[in-house]
Amino acid sequence: MNLPNEEKMELTHEPVSGYRTAFFIAITIGVFYLGLILLKTL
Amino acid sequence: MTDPLPPFILFMAGALLVPFVTGKWKSFFLLFIPVLGLLNLLRMQEGVYWIVSFLDYHLVLGRVDRLSLLFGYIFHIISFIAILYALHVKDDIQHVAGLTYAGSALGAIFSGDLFSFFVFWEMLTVSSIFLIWARRTEASLASGFRYLLVHAAGGLCLLAGIVLHVNQTGSLSFDYLGLNGPGSYLIFLGFGLNCAWPILHPWLTDAYPEATITGTIFLSAFTTKVAVYALARAFPGTEALIWIGAVMTAFPIFYAVIENDLRRVLAYSLINQVGFMVCGIGIGTALAINGAVCHAFNDILFKALLFMSMGAVMYRTGKINGTELGGLYRTMPLTCIFCMVGAASISAFPLFSGFVSKSMVMDAAAAGHMRIIWFMLLFASAGVFHHAGIKIPYFAFFSHDSGMRPREAPVHMLLAMGIAAFLSIFIGVYPAPLYSLLPYPVDYVPYTAPHVLGQTQLLFFSALAFTLLLLSGIYPAEMRCINLDADWFYRKGARLFYRLMAKALNPINEACEQLFVNGFVRIIAHLSKDLIARLALIIMVTFWITTGLRGQRLRMKKENLYADVMAGACPIGIGAGAATGFLALVYLLMY
Repeated sequence: MNLPNEEKMELTHEPVSGYRTAFFIAITIGVFYLGLILLKTL
Repeated sequence: MTDPLPPFILFMAGALLVPFVTGKWKSFFLLFIPVLGLLNLLRMQEGVYWIVSFLDYHLVLGRVDRLSLLFGYIFHIISFIAILYALHVKDDIQHVAGLTYAGSALGAIFSGDLFSFFVFWEMLTVSSIFLIWARRTEASLASGFRYLLVHAAGGLCLLAGIVLHVNQTGSLSFDYLGLNGPGSYLIFLGFGLNCAWPILHPWLTDAYPEATITGTIFLSAFTTKVAVYALARAFPGTEALIWIGAVMTAFPIFYAVIENDLRRVLAYSLINQVGFMVCGIGIGTALAINGAVCHAFNDILFKALLFMSMGAVMYRTGKINGTELGGLYRTMPLTCIFCMVGAASISAFPLFSGFVSKSMVMDAAAAGHMRIIWFMLLFASAGVFHHAGIKIPYFAFFSHDSGMRPREAPVHMLLAMGIAAFLSIFIGVYPAPLYSLLPYPVDYVPYTAPHVLGQTQLLFFSALAFTLLLLSGIYPAEMRCINLDADWFYRKGARLFYRLMAKALNPINEACEQLFVNGFVRIIAHLSKDLIARLALIIMVTFWITTGLRGQRLRMKKENLYADVMAGACPIGIGAGAATGFLALVYLLMY
């Protein structure tokens, strides 16, 4: 289908190698850190 | 020296005169109105003014106190900024609607009674619709009608509540109401609709992005803030507001992240920020109320700044979707800088306005030991940085290179953005003047080491999360699509309602048609065709039989009489007899 203004339908964000691992490591550390704080404050 | 005028009068009178001012004087005239209004407001002392008698009640058009004055100041400031931003607009409808809208907002916040408040509240709705319709697109027309329907329902709800409340208490006074009866619940709901509470909010994200570039600046400032003012006036300390506000801060984040239309992202962000205010009003302590209204003041400025920067982008490129924009910092550096000031302010970066007000609400929640609420607000603070603080400037000015090289925004737009940016930074650096205007005395110190450190930590970790999500490819793609949130229920619900009504009411409709249209009316029509002739026959045949008339003669007389009556050639005696009979019948029926 030709769009009237030839607009992009999707703007994807291509992954850069190595960052997915870094993301999961950061998430894991973050969850443990927050869990620890939560335990200490309850 | 003359007495001050009611603040709304200047804007309303200005709106009436706009079409008659032409040429270069129009710009001066438009800018002169809020300046004159602010000078007028600065002369006002706290008290009650402009009392008008109406039926058995006294309408108060000017209840001036610290709460109404604070909103009055910011409404004048933002009107000046929005008018300056819109100076290029040649469409008088937009100028008239903008001024009437601002005047209605001022009328509402200075109303001391519920009746005049309601009138200005409805004028807000009517005038704001024209800022949406003035874009003159199919989408804006449709969303304007949806906006009108929703606000008409909200207005009716408010009116019903006011009537019940007045009936219950006998008072029209617009002061603390609290939730203490059906009337107050309806008023509460009416305010909530304009405040864009969860589930009631789709009108905002639907209509604001469809309004004109300049109309959105006005829209972002008034409707929701008048509702915040109304809640602060009538329902401070209402516990339900704490949770409603907390949900408001959190849920828009998810929709804002996946939204492609950057003005719609800001509309979600508007709900998120109003959530902080609603939550503060619900907490109800002096610190929380101060925080709520202080944040309303700041939000009007930085939200307008963000909408103005996106409006400038839209004005120059004709585009507003994240998928189409990017790389504009090269040719629109000043707009980019102003956008980042707005982004830093809304994200509550230290030295920017959001920092000195949002933290008041959070500290009030912490002081009240509201752990879950505090955590929700913290999550929302991180989320707002993500979608409004980073996403907006990133996708518009950086991200991928769209290849567009538009010119910088016009000077008057830059000036308007510059004023809003200056005020956002000034308040962030030196909040004392704003604090001195708040309803309660302030002994709050925003710049403490734990506060600055904690907020900076939150923002930088939020930025880290955004970066890692983007580089790991997990960040959701910007897609050209329509995202439905709570309006899904309206769309599906409305269809279901339509089907149910069709199933339930159509058989009744058909039965009525069969009975009345096809049955009763047909019989009446048939009878009325020769009713008089038949009646005449009944009377006369009875008479003739009693006089001994029979056989062929009787049949001939019947036929002649029928023909005469149908032809309108009725003997006078019969006509007189029928009239006498008719009058006798009427007499009997009456007695």
